This record gives sequence, C-alpha cells and structure tokens, in this order.
Amino acid sequence: MSTAPAPVASRPRSDPRAASPKRTNTRRRGWRTLGWALLFLLPSAIPLTAFTLVPMISSAWVSLHDWNLISPMEWVGLENYRELLADPRTWDVFANTATYILGYLPLVYIGGLGLALALNRAMAGIAFLRGAYFLPVVTSWVVVALVWQWLLSPSNGLVNTVLGAIGLPEPGWWTDPTWAMPSIILASVWKDLGFVMVILLAGLQALPQEVLEAARVDGAGAWRRFWHITLPLLSPSTFFVVVISLINGFQVFDQVNVMTDGGPAGATQVVVGQIYDLTFRYGRAGDASALSWLLFALVLVITAIQIRGQRRWVTYA
Amino acid sequence: MTPHRRRAARLLATSAVVALAVTACSQGSASNDDPTDAEGSGDGQTTLTYMNFSSNGGNEENLALVVDAFEADNPGITVEVETFPYDDYFTVLQTAVAGGTEADVFELNYENFVTYALNGSLAPLEGVDEAAYKPSLLEAFQLDGTQYGLPESFSNVVLFYNADLFEAAGVEPPTADWTWADERAAAEALTDTATGTWGDYQPISFHEFYKVLAQNGGEFLSEDRTEATFASPEGIEAAEWLVEKSGTVMPTTADGAGTPDFDTNLFTSGQLAMWHTGIWMFGPLADVDFAWDIAVEPGNTENASAMFSNTAVVSARSANTDAAQAWAEYLTSSEAMVQMRLDTGWELPPVADESLLAPYLEQTPPTNRQAVFDSLDAIVLPPAIESQTEMQDIVTEELTEAAAGRKSVEEALTSAQERVTALL
Amino acid sequence: MPELTATRPESRTGRRRALPKLFWALALTLGAAVMLFPFLWTVITSITPDGTLASGPTLLVEDPTLDAYRQLFDAMPMWRIVANSFWIAIASTLFQLITGAMAAYAFTRIAFPGRQAVFAVYLATLMVPLQVLVVPLFIQMTRAQLSDTYFALLAPSIASAFGIFLLKQSMESVPRELDEAATLDGAHHLRIFAQVVLPLTRPALATVAVFAFMGSWNSYLWPLVVIRSPELMTLPLGLATLQGQFTTQWNVVMAGSVVSVLPIAIVYIFAQRYIIAGFAHSGLK
Repeated sequence: MSTAPAPVASRPRSDPRAASPKRTNTRRRGWRTLGWALLFLLPSAIPLTAFTLVPMISSAWVSLHDWNLISPMEWVGLENYRELLADPRTWDVFANTATYILGYLPLVYIGGLGLALALNRAMAGIAFLRGAYFLPVVTSWVVVALVWQWLLSPSNGLVNTVLGAIGLPEPGWWTDPTWAMPSIILASVWKDLGFVMVILLAGLQALPQEVLEAARVDGAGAWRRFWHITLPLLSPSTFFVVVISLINGFQVFDQVNVMTDGGPAGATQVVVGQIYDLTFRYGRAGDASALSWLLFALVLVITAIQIRGQRRWVTYA
Repeated sequence: MTPHRRRAARLLATSAVVALAVTACSQGSASNDDPTDAEGSGDGQTTLTYMNFSSNGGNEENLALVVDAFEADNPGITVEVETFPYDDYFTVLQTAVAGGTEADVFELNYENFVTYALNGSLAPLEGVDEAAYKPSLLEAFQLDGTQYGLPESFSNVVLFYNADLFEAAGVEPPTADWTWADERAAAEALTDTATGTWGDYQPISFHEFYKVLAQNGGEFLSEDRTEATFASPEGIEAAEWLVEKSGTVMPTTADGAGTPDFDTNLFTSGQLAMWHTGIWMFGPLADVDFAWDIAVEPGNTENASAMFSNTAVVSARSANTDAAQAWAEYLTSSEAMVQMRLDTGWELPPVADESLLAPYLEQTPPTNRQAVFDSLDAIVLPPAIESQTEMQDIVTEELTEAAAGRKSVEEALTSAQERVTALL
Repeated sequence: MPELTATRPESRTGRRRALPKLFWALALTLGAAVMLFPFLWTVITSITPDGTLASGPTLLVEDPTLDAYRQLFDAMPMWRIVANSFWIAIASTLFQLITGAMAAYAFTRIAFPGRQAVFAVYLATLMVPLQVLVVPLFIQMTRAQLSDTYFALLAPSIASAFGIFLLKQSMESVPRELDEAATLDGAHHLRIFAQVVLPLTRPALATVAVFAFMGSWNSYLWPLVVIRSPELMTLPLGLATLQGQFTTQWNVVMAGSVVSVLPIAIVYIFAQRYIIAGFAHSGLK
C-alpha cells in the first residue's frame, strides 16, 4: 500500500449517476451513512442494551424503592437519595474513594509509563521480562492480598523489618486507619503497573518511527524528543489510561474486600464496598441502587470534563 | 426438555472442547443425567433441590451419605445438592429468591431465619414429629407458634486449653466453676512474651460480646425490642473483659490476630494456653502433639454459652412442598443423619433422645467431652433482628475501635448502642 | 541519559551505550524479580508437603511434591471446570474483538448524526458497578429462562465498552490519509475496515484480546449467582469452594491459583508477538 497525497478535508465524492438535485443527493448519502453506522454498531449495541443498559434502568427503578431482595418492593420515591445525602457515612465512603484515586492514579501512570519506556527495547529475554511485569495483573487478588498482608505485617513483615533495621518508624500498615489506605494504594499500584504498561507499550509500538527519526537527525536530545514528540504522540493512549483508571478507580472494591474488608474503623470502606454491603449483607438494595446512581452521576461528570478537555492536550493522527 | 436446557444443549454442541470435557467427566456428574427440573416429569419422579453452606469445608461427602439414604428410602424422589461457601451463600440465596429460583429446601442460620420467616418466603411445616427434636432447638425456629424450620444440627463454644502448658507453669487447669477472675489470673500467669506464648484468645466480635454480656447479667435489647441496652454498666464491664485481653494476654491485630488460621496455628503450635472456640475444632486438633482438653466457658455473675444451629427450611414457592418437607425431616431427624454426624463428628444431631449421643461422649480427645453438654444448661442465643448483619457489623466495628485504643470502651459501646437502636 | 524515546535499537549507538544497556538489563531484571515474587511464593507453597502459611515464604522446599495438584484434581471435576472457563473466555474474546472493532470503526470513520451522544452512552455502561446490576440482570435472565446456561455466562461479555474505547483510541491514530486513499479507489466501509484499519490496529486488538480473556477468566460475581449446575461451574467458583474446603491446606489453594494464572500468562506471552509487531509491519515506511 502506498501513501497517497493527503487530502486536507474529505472531498465530496462525485456521483456521476446522481441526476437528482443536490439536496436529495445529500439526503441519500445521509441515509447511507446511517445504514453503515447501524451495520457497524448493532453487533455491540444490542448486547450492551440488553445486558447492561436495561439492568441499569431497572436499578434506577429499584433506587426509588425499599427492597431487601426477598420481599416485595415498596415505593419510597426519592427518599433513599435524601437519606443517603444526609448520612455522613456516604460522604466518608466517597472521601475514601477519592483518597484512593488521588494516590493511585499518578503513581500507576508514572510507574507504568516508565516501565513501558524501559521495556520498549529489543534485548535478550525482553518477552520474559514483559511477561513478568504483567503477571501481577492476572494474579487473583486473594493471592496478592495474602502476600501483601505478609509483607506489610506490622509485627514481623518484611517491610517493617527493613524499616526497623535502618532506624525508621514502623507503621501499623493495614491495622492502622492512617496507613490502611496507603497500604491498599501501594498493593494496587504494584498489581496494576503491568496493565498501564501493556496499554502504553501498544501505544509506543504504534508511533510513527519516521517522526522520531527526523527529530533525531535534527539533533534533538533524548529528553526533548520524549517531552515534545513521544509524549504528545502517546496522548491518545494516555487519555485512555486516565479515563479508564478513573472509571475503575471509582469502582475499586476487590482489593479492599480481600485486604481490609473496609476496616480498620471504616477507614478503607469505599463506595462499591458500601454498595455490596447494602445489597447483599444489609438487605437494602434500594439504598445500594441509589448510591450507585450518585456514583454514576459523579463519574459521568468527571468523564465528560475529561472528554471536553481532551482537545487541549490529546493529539490524534 | 425445557427450552433453556435445549438452548444450552445446542451451545454445548458447538464446542468441541466442551464435548470432550463432557465425555472426560461424565463419571463426575452421573447423577445429573436426568434433565428434569424441580417440577418433575411424567414418570412420577420428583427432583428436589437443596441449597446449603454447612457441608462446604470438607463435609460434602458426609451430606451425600444422608442424601443417598433418603433416596433409597424414597424411590420416587431425587435430591440435587447445591453447596456454596458461607461467604457467598447469602449473596446467591438472596439473588435466587429475588428471581424466584431458590431451591425447594435451603439452609439458614439462626440469625437469618427471622428475616426470611417474617418475609413470607418460608412454607409452614405441619405434622412434624416434634418428639424427635430437642425442644429448645425446635422452638428456636418457630414464629408466632408456627414451625418454619427444622434444626439440622447444633454446635457450641467451649474453652479449649493446652494441658501441657498449664502443667509446665504449675497452674491449675480450668474447671466448670471458673469465673472471669480465674481465667484472667491463669492467662496472666501463662503469657510469656519471651517465648511468644499467649495466655488467652477470644475474638473481639459481636458473637463473643452478646455472650459475655449475658455472662455478666446484661441485656442486649430492651424488653419491647425497641432499643439497644448493652451500653449498661454490665455491658461496659463485659466489653472491657474482652478488650483488655488484647495486647496483654492475647495477641493484637497488629500481631496478626484476625488473619486466616492465625488462632488455629497459634494453638496447634503450642503457643496458646486457652482458646475460646467451637467444638468443630475437635477434628483438626485430633493429631496435635500435646495434651489438650476443654471446659465450660467461665462466666462472671452467671454462666452463659453460645450455641450455633442451622435450620432446614422449605421455600413457600416450592412446587413439591410435601416431598420437600419429607427431605427436610429426614435431613434433621433420621437415623442415617444421627449415625453420620456421630461417625464423622460433623456437629451434633438435634435429637431429643440424649442416649443416642453416648458414642460421641466415649471418643477422645478431649477427655472432658461432657463439657459440651454441660454448656447447654445455660445457653444464650444471639439477639435476632431484621437488620441482623448490619447490627453485627456495627458491634464488631466499635469493639475493634476500643481494642485498638482509638476509643474508650464506654464511647465505643455508647456509639454502637445508638447505631443499633437506629436499626430497630 | 537513558533512552527515553520510543525507538527500536540501532547500530549507530554502538559501544558507547553498552554500559547503560547493562544497567537497564540489571534494573529491569531486579524489578521483574519483585513482580514475580508473589507468584513464586504461590508455586513454592503449592509444592510444599504440609502447606501452611504460618512461617512465611521460604525459597527452598525440602520434599517438593505434586500432591496438592493431585488433591486438587481429585476434589472436583477440574478438567470440566477448566474447559468451561476456557471456552467461555475464548468465545467472549472473539465476540468482543468483532463487536468492539466494528463499533470503534463506526465511532472513528463514519460521520453519523449523534455520534458523540452514542459514544457517551457506551461509556456510561462502564459507570454503574456490577454489584448493583447483578440482581436486575439475574431476574431478567430468569424471566427469559436463560439462567443457569452457558449463554447466561457469556451474555454480559459479548460486547464491552472498555474494549471499544481502547480500539477507538487506537483507530484515531491510524492516519486518515490511508482510508481516504482507499475511498478514492472506490472501496466501501467494509473493505476499508477489514483491509486498511484492522491491520494497523493489531497491537490494540491484541491488548483487547488479553483483557477480554482475563475479564472472562476471572469473572466471579456474575457466574456465582447465575450458575447453579455443577456442570457449568467456572474456575473462580471452583477455587472459592476450594478455599472453604481446604482452609488449612494452603498448598491445595495455591495449586488452584497456579492453575488459574498460568493460562492467562500464556495468552499474554502469545498475544505479545502481535502487540509488538504493530506498526513496523504495516508497510507504512
């Protein structure tokens, strides 16, 4: 395939058969575009609607009721939302979730980017190394939690043994409310580094080499090339990582569930942990649904802001 | 064949991998060849489903013994068992009830029984042979005089002790006459930080607290059950009894308490002198290389022991309530069940006739098995309300706060009392 | 200055870079050891005879044994369970690749009205936690008489907005000059999709494949509530049962965990070849 001269904007395609006035022509093309769009979208739109959107609407309906799953629903209108907003625990779980994201996101992105750059090279055993860094991503949280609970064990864990040996204070890690969330952030960053690495690595591999080559020929230093060429060209991947990590970060649950179960003293109880407890342990599915719609609203707004803002820094080809 | 089975079958057929797997594993699922659902088919064969958690953890085969005996005695009925780990059981059960697909017979624990009975999910059981059951257990699963569940088994909590450690330290071993003061004195004498030996271990949780509260003469809820009353002077003293152990005679959470198997490992490695735990530990402790025994748990102003009992209930929506009740009765009172439980030591059968339990008493260790039954003289059942789990979580959380020294015992209990009252 | 840019190695660098290269190799290997440590611990515990966690990890096993694996395969119909997990994961990966690539193409290459809004709805499907959707979805499946079937296991992972978003980002980076050239040659969307855009999106497709496989392979809550027949059990459900069954036998639990991790690790190593092949083979140069 050869690179054709780049047309600046898509040219209207002239159709020799079109004898009708221009408007009909445009309309027909409109219908044809819609037809193509449907053809390409329906395979995903149908299952997403049936298995995600419809349950979402059902959960919105549930949020207007009191329901313990085993007796009939009872209509309460917006009462669940009013109660949740008045309950200080709601704000606590949102604050804990925000703390998690603020700690997790920068660390996992910078770490993952560093790793992707470091592993984006040809050397003996590179495939094995990449695999090694990816392994924690695929290991179940149950096993990872066991390991980290041992590493961060306040009395005989490896980390505190080392800290003690060099004369630093030995925090209570996951038994101390101050350190429990940092412990979870640390374990999560460690586990997800490979996730960010894989996505950025795919992005790096897709960069047009001739641009980098041209810059090198022009005598741009490594740091300048990274900052002015690699990073901007990587911005679509970065944008993806940030948006997805935020959406997932707001729904953090598994690691909390297996490492601290929301404790100590509720210091690590996060929004989805609360949703799970309300639904399956406390028989308050209505409150849980309402809480998840509050979460939805928040994540939606944040994601919308990011999509608006992307024009400023995301460069597409 | 029902439509969804057929669809599943077609999907199955599309995958060669699965087809291979089916042949490879056919012996593993031989009992499931009959494609009928709970509704039963034309030939008079009834298939029941039974959902449970208690057999998970190594008793799956023991339960199968009872199922086989039942099917042999009732040729027209097949029982399909669905076993889930306890942590997931109620998630699955509630979702199934919400979708109307719960099993014909399912298992509940005492604390959750009330919620399900109040919600009309359970079929009333009529014509049960009441004489077969221990009366207190049978009564536990009645609501307003109607029997909604049958006791499957029971187990209780006693004081386990390492006899060798007591002897080495020259401390008299626990007896049924002990009170908290005796336990505290012994625990202090036996704790030795130099060798990493601890005197005592008792979880700081709801299930221990309601019990020590009763041992101290306190009441958890007011008579009319409209408010929590456990932050009384008796309650505070009881909570202090639990909380003060932590870090003095008992390891703290920072030492590892609360992590999987921590207490079991501590006791089996001979580093724990006294341990408040359930009689289900008899099996795992059979082979340890030191002498151990049990005693009735010490009380303060009175004796009170915890008992756990699971119940078999019949779904109100079951299409085969008669067969379902027959299975529930067989599971809870048949000779096959009594025999199996005595042979395997999987909890105790809920039978009225205590002479049937003689073989259980003859086994050792522990020598003092009689303590298991002596404990039953003063039983305290957990308070049961509709928001059961939430109440339990609140009490455990506040007590943990007190144990970590972040709140005083009084603050923690007062706060817990307010939060529990709000649930009532 | 370490190599910070995205380049393939080349001859020009020569001897001058031998030292940093060695440094990087060492640093990366050390890092890899840290990442591998938990997995090594898992493997070691799984071949330790008594398998307790009491004493923390050790590197040397006195009498290594495969007993735990034998017990694992005796305790439950492991082959059946693994086969179930495998075919569900493969099917959902294929579905997600097809539905995802097509949707991403529509969002990047077909200027239909309301494109932004539709994409927003797609993204919104990621924002309500599964924990709250499980019950409504289960009721829906039950009404359709589909619960406790393979279809029910597969249904929620036929399409995923996560994969669509990732592919969309990748297709945005494929130079439009290429498909516009093809358009001039008279090609329609299906051909541009299959012959121009897809080949250039291979790294992203491979990435989506890895995550789709992993998502299905590790999926727990949905299979837990929707599957009741033992014949349909998937690996995470089996492992959870195992944990209740062998609480003090961590070697068996860890053996189960090794069995669950290995296939995804293999899928990743396999997919890597495509992730790396990427642009270099696209013929753009």
